[in-house]
Amino acid sequence: MMDVGRHPNIKLLTNSKVEAIKGYVGNFDVKVLKKTRYVDETQCTACGDCAEVCPVVVPDAYQQGLSSRKAIYIPFPQAVPSASLIDMESCLGTNPIACGKCADKCDKKCIDYDAKDETIEFKVGTVIVATGMDVFDPVILEEYGYTKHENVVTSMEFERLLSAGGPSDGHFIRPTDRQRPKTVGFVQCVGSRCEKIGKPYCSNICCMNTIKDTLLLKDHYPDIQAKVFYIDIRAFGKGFEDLFKRSKEAGVQYIRGIPGEITEDPKSRNLKVMVEDTTSNKIEEHEFDMMVLSVGVTPRLDMPEVQQLLTLSKTPDGFFMEAHPKLKPVDAPSTGIYFAGCAEAPKDVKDSVTQASAAAARAETLLSAGKVKLEAITSTLDTALCRYCATCSRVCPYGAFTVDPKKKTISYIDALCKGCGTCAAECRFGALTMKHFTDEQIVTQIDAHLAEDPGEKVIVFACNWCSYAGADTCGGARLQYPPNQRLIRTMCSGRVDEKFVLHAFRKGAPMVVVSGCHYVDCHYIDANRWTQKRVEKLWDKFEKWGIRPERLLLEWISAAEGQRFQKTMQDIEELRKKVTKEEIEQTVKILTEEEEKDKAKAKKKQADSPTKKKS
Amino acid sequence: MPETEEKDFKCLRCSAEFKLPYTKGVMQERTCPKCGSNSVRLDRKKEKGAPAGEKK
Ligand code: SF4
Ligand code: SF4
Ligand SMILES: [Zn+2]
Repeated sequence: MMDVGRHPNIKLLTNSKVEAIKGYVGNFDVKVLKKTRYVDETQCTACGDCAEVCPVVVPDAYQQGLSSRKAIYIPFPQAVPSASLIDMESCLGTNPIACGKCADKCDKKCIDYDAKDETIEFKVGTVIVATGMDVFDPVILEEYGYTKHENVVTSMEFERLLSAGGPSDGHFIRPTDRQRPKTVGFVQCVGSRCEKIGKPYCSNICCMNTIKDTLLLKDHYPDIQAKVFYIDIRAFGKGFEDLFKRSKEAGVQYIRGIPGEITEDPKSRNLKVMVEDTTSNKIEEHEFDMMVLSVGVTPRLDMPEVQQLLTLSKTPDGFFMEAHPKLKPVDAPSTGIYFAGCAEAPKDVKDSVTQASAAAARAETLLSAGKVKLEAITSTLDTALCRYCATCSRVCPYGAFTVDPKKKTISYIDALCKGCGTCAAECRFGALTMKHFTDEQIVTQIDAHLAEDPGEKVIVFACNWCSYAGADTCGGARLQYPPNQRLIRTMCSGRVDEKFVLHAFRKGAPMVVVSGCHYVDCHYIDANRWTQKRVEKLWDKFEKWGIRPERLLLEWISAAEGQRFQKTMQDIEELRKKVTKEEIEQTVKILTEEEEKDKAKAKKKQADSPTKKKS
Repeated sequence: MPETEEKDFKCLRCSAEFKLPYTKGVMQERTCPKCGSNSVRLDRKKEKGAPAGEKK
């Protein structure tokens, strides 16, 4: 932190809030609200004289509320900048009661109660999101009695209690009687790996944190008995297994089983748990002077704000989604935005530093190149055809369009486009076309596949990243799938326009399959949700027209799911065999009539609005 | 927050009928518990009056 604070090329804005970020890679306009500290940080020497005279006492968040601070304070010992600030909500100020004690005491005259917040605006080329995480609040898990039983503390509180700079000056005491506990129990996975509370993921850090805590405890107080209740210990990092071993060698007992409930003895204030040790299958009772809940990591509460600022996406666990879990783990789906630390997923210090270094290098590479290579497959807008319906701005996962239907304006930034093709599939006025994977190319492929014996073929639209790759995996593993299935590749299933599906059926296809990535794998944030929506609408239309919806299938297949690809295609072949020649002919007739009706409607519309430009 | 309820769904690949959680206005990946297909459709016959399609 010190190094960052002193670095000539780094401008550190603390106590600040990013209010707006507009633009795109290389051209982000950032607006920051720099909140005032009421103390001139360039003059303050952090002597602490002001805090000594301040009469206000409030709980100290840094010490987990276990001790107090003053209204004028330094947030924590290593804070950068090393300067005081006033918490104005607690400060008595100079009005209506004249306090002003800190200002009187400060020799350097750094305190100004009338200082105002400042709005700063600047341009940046890239953005790194390192907004961190929150810690799970175990109050909702009533069975553990956190806040009801005072001697149940969280792992964060335990850290402070054991720290030399903590509320008890490093003397480890239990809250009720301020005596040193003789027995301490740790409960793992509190707020992690629990479907019931919507936290099914592993928080990654808690096992090692507890192992470290037990080692610290044993180091300071070898006579304290420590027991850890766990589901399984995840000590997979470099040197971690060694630490785990050392903890066991130091006498810490590891019990595989999680207590159902913590009860308190009202007299001794000791804590009791019943637990099934799954290694011995025995129910055991344990009593402790103090218990530590090893709390998990959760996405920050204010994450939606950051998400909105940068049009980011989240994975089902609530953390930010990276561009690709394996190939682009540092990049956000939008170019020029990177992640570092727990904003993206729970991780320890080492992994956070690794990701932060990678993010800095990724950003630096882009900045020093001075220019960005755009995707070759982007969308092209023909403004003459646009009717300003704003569909494109709704569907584009990257916010490439800004449409004002009232003012009849549209702006399109192709630097933001990643080429999923969803906008082109959704624009009903033909104003959007794709460079590569054009309508003509796709329709030509359908025609070619169905030129001979169409009734024997199945048209399968497959997305580049998942289902097409899944077909490759299937082939690579020498898994056979029916040879009459004809794959048409698109970058994203979002590109599969309704008209491609209808064209295939009109050309006599017995079955059409639209396939793409599973929700979590979608390479274009959430473009495949529009695919599903489109297919669902088509099912409804088919039913209305008297065509069996079963002939249009939607299948999510990942790149690794070669076997799933094979099974899906085999099942579909069986379904194809059941589609009769008469049924196909009937479908062709219905769809041709529907097409004629649409054409007639469009013609009439055009005739009714002669002033409209070509459409 | 829109309410989540159990609704009747039908698999278009294997014709299995089953119940799945449904939240109006929320897109969800749905999988047939029998064959694993994602061609899972709200069963309109059973769900009379159900809205057409979900909003994103
Ligand atoms: S969807 Fe098409 S018509 Fe509608 S605003 Fe976008 S480009 Fe224009
Ligand atoms: S919807 Fe897809 S293809 Fe269209 S502009 Fe956005 S990213 Fe590009
Ligand atoms: Zn099924």
